[in-house]
Amino acid sequence: MPDPVPAALAGSSVTLRGVRKEFPGGVVAIDPMDLDVAAGEFLAILGPSGCGKSTLLRMISGLERPTAGTVEVHRPSTTGHAGRFDIAYVFQDAHLLPWRTVLSNAAMPLELRGIGRAERQARAADALANVGLGDALARYPNQLSGGMRMRVSLARAMVTDPTLLLLDEPFAALDEITRQRLDEQLRELWQARRMTVIFVTHSTTEAVFLADRAVVMSKRPGRIISDRAVALAPARVGALRGTADFVHETRIVYEALERGEASA
Amino acid sequence: MRARRVVGRIGLLLVLQAGVGCKQDPAVGDPSVKAVSLTLDWVPEPEFGGFYAAREAGAFRAQGLAVDIKPRGQGETWKLVAQGVTDFATTAADQVLIAREQGADVVAIFAVYQTSPQGIMVHQARGFARIDDVFTHPGTLEAEDVTWLKFLRRKFPDAPMKLTSNSPGIATFLANPELSKQCFVTSEPLQARTASSDPQTFLIADAGYNPYTTVVIARGEMVRKDPATIRKMILAMRAGWRAYVDDPAATNAVMGKLNPEMDASTFAASAGVQKPLIETAETQRTALGEMTAARWQTLGQQLVELAILKVAAPAEAAFVSLDRLPAK
Amino acid sequence: MKAFLQRWGTAYGPPLVVLIVGTLLLEAYVRWTHVPIYLAPRPSDVILTLHRERAYLLAASWSTAKAALVGFGLSAGVGVAIALALASSAWVRRAFYPYTVFFQTVPIIAIAPMLSIWLAPGLKAVAACAFIVSVFPVIANTLAGLIATDPALVDLFRLYGASRTAAMLKLRFPAALPNVFIGLRVAAGLAVIGTVVAEFLVGELGEEQGLGVVIVGASHNGHSDRVFAAVLLASALGLTMFGAVNLVARRVLRNWHASART
Repeated sequence: MPDPVPAALAGSSVTLRGVRKEFPGGVVAIDPMDLDVAAGEFLAILGPSGCGKSTLLRMISGLERPTAGTVEVHRPSTTGHAGRFDIAYVFQDAHLLPWRTVLSNAAMPLELRGIGRAERQARAADALANVGLGDALARYPNQLSGGMRMRVSLARAMVTDPTLLLLDEPFAALDEITRQRLDEQLRELWQARRMTVIFVTHSTTEAVFLADRAVVMSKRPGRIISDRAVALAPARVGALRGTADFVHETRIVYEALERGEASA
Repeated sequence: MRARRVVGRIGLLLVLQAGVGCKQDPAVGDPSVKAVSLTLDWVPEPEFGGFYAAREAGAFRAQGLAVDIKPRGQGETWKLVAQGVTDFATTAADQVLIAREQGADVVAIFAVYQTSPQGIMVHQARGFARIDDVFTHPGTLEAEDVTWLKFLRRKFPDAPMKLTSNSPGIATFLANPELSKQCFVTSEPLQARTASSDPQTFLIADAGYNPYTTVVIARGEMVRKDPATIRKMILAMRAGWRAYVDDPAATNAVMGKLNPEMDASTFAASAGVQKPLIETAETQRTALGEMTAARWQTLGQQLVELAILKVAAPAEAAFVSLDRLPAK
Repeated sequence: MKAFLQRWGTAYGPPLVVLIVGTLLLEAYVRWTHVPIYLAPRPSDVILTLHRERAYLLAASWSTAKAALVGFGLSAGVGVAIALALASSAWVRRAFYPYTVFFQTVPIIAIAPMLSIWLAPGLKAVAACAFIVSVFPVIANTLAGLIATDPALVDLFRLYGASRTAAMLKLRFPAALPNVFIGLRVAAGLAVIGTVVAEFLVGELGEEQGLGVVIVGASHNGHSDRVFAAVLLASALGLTMFGAVNLVARRVLRNWHASART
């Protein structure tokens, strides 16, 4: 497995054993599934709509319990500064609080953890600067573009310096250019912080550009039908998208995805 | 029950619809029988006993009239008459003068109460001797801000009691020993007695304001163009009221079916209380329902003094009696 | 200044034109067709009455306004508090919510005398009626807003270990504010209606008498111009309270997305 920074200890590892999810009414979202995510790994999960990707993510976050099996998130052996929180979650839409400023939105997780005003504002300002929003602190969500709102959402997730970052099709609603820019920004953040990232998407190019490993799921009930490392160098820049290697990797993931669509 | 004006106003629309409702008198098709309608300004109660008696005992039919009695009219029944929604209606004399000043051509043809049953009930324990005591002692008076109250407020400008709107029912009276409440002496005091209270009543008339009450009005146009029907109506009502005053029992039973809220003993008691207000020394000289120009004149002047009317119009125009009806 | 006038004209011009033209048409209609004044007083008479009896009518309006404001204030405070309690758990909501409908359905004519006994007639009983008539929309709308909180944000708060209280104060209540204001707007008008009706039933007479008492008295005494003047003032009071709620709502929600404002 081509982990670019072998000594990464800033991320949580995740272990799923025999995880199954059945909703009331008998709909089986996830068939018994095993999955290991290494500390500091950047994993993309792909699959057709309704294949249980989001359910999987919610079970890893602890928001949802599996019907059977176990989900374990292991803290890294070294922990960061006080107030560090394990898991952060980014949704498909920004889901900001419209009555709060950008700064106050990004500081919200720290506020809920009881961190003092001065510190949380400093850290939120930092997190916002990291996503290129250093000059929009006093604005309100309705004054921002969709891409900017998503970046606030990303900053809100990063403000706790998470060891595990879960993203559920976060940029799906954005236009292509904005989306690519945000992908690049996310990859940079990961490279700097080395948290574990699990990124759910239905875009093969996005998965290949971002991740070191791509898992493809079948239609419901979700099973893993392909799990492979992305054979690309760790340094990812925009120009990579035009290369033959990139196209090749994309094609392989795409074919797996097609098999996933056809399955069941 | 004399919170009726307010209640009536709230239900105005319903009533207006009911007012143009069906007539099912079998005599309607008969050309020799004149079909008319009489709208009451409240539910069937002894206050209207003579009208039902006239219907039940055949006094209307004897005059060649088929009268459709419509209970539950609203307070300002004169508007229904003026607008031709109904032929006759009951109201009070002060309302007749108010209506006429506003250009509504309505004329009184019959007055049930020579003495207005409008009164104030107080708790016996307060030891009041006259109506003046109500206005010279503290406590609370529940009343509507209408003609007679304006008269009394003018008469007692420094009255120390608190004045509030007349709440529906008698609950507030029963609950508060310092509370006086407007009433029809034929109605609320009887209810209070049933609820084992012992109210004392004072008539407003004793204070000097005594409009004819439960006055039957007709359109002036009808009086001028069809005096025969007016004459028949007056005669029939006179006969009906004569019968009711003498023996209300049978009619009460009929009204009791129409108004199940009121029990038989209250019907009987109410009919007893109202008797001296209907039959007076005056009516014994003349006839039941008769009115005098002098009293209409007095009322007009009182209403002008209260700034309710602008001018006291000639009293003779406001009412007719048999001897003043235009000849055919 | 010019821009202000222009904006003002765009916002208030059309209704003003409708008002003036409507009044003139009504005046013309009433004059030409000789509609009896007891059915429709001339607008000009009503305006003259408003002017001539302004001291008397304004005092009555102020009395009505006081009761309506107290009733509305109670509705806002108690209504929101009840909604917060109902939103605290699904069990509580299922157990108690049906009974709040009582406020919506209770005939005020039946309950007013009771209130007059418990609270003393006049301002207290009248304001209590205004409260009863106007509180339900506040409860219902606030509750709807509290329940409809964005589930993703509820998840996020859970993920960060927020307490129930923190989630209520920092997320659910602020998120419900647009709904709260919808409820308050409805309540503002209802509080005035409730006050006027309650004044018919248990209001004070004399110096402190409100528009409801004026309407009953004037109606009985055949002063339809005064009746309509009082009705106009009651409407104006309702509009003023409605407008005030709108103004506050606009200030509080000014940073929200346009769709969240109404």
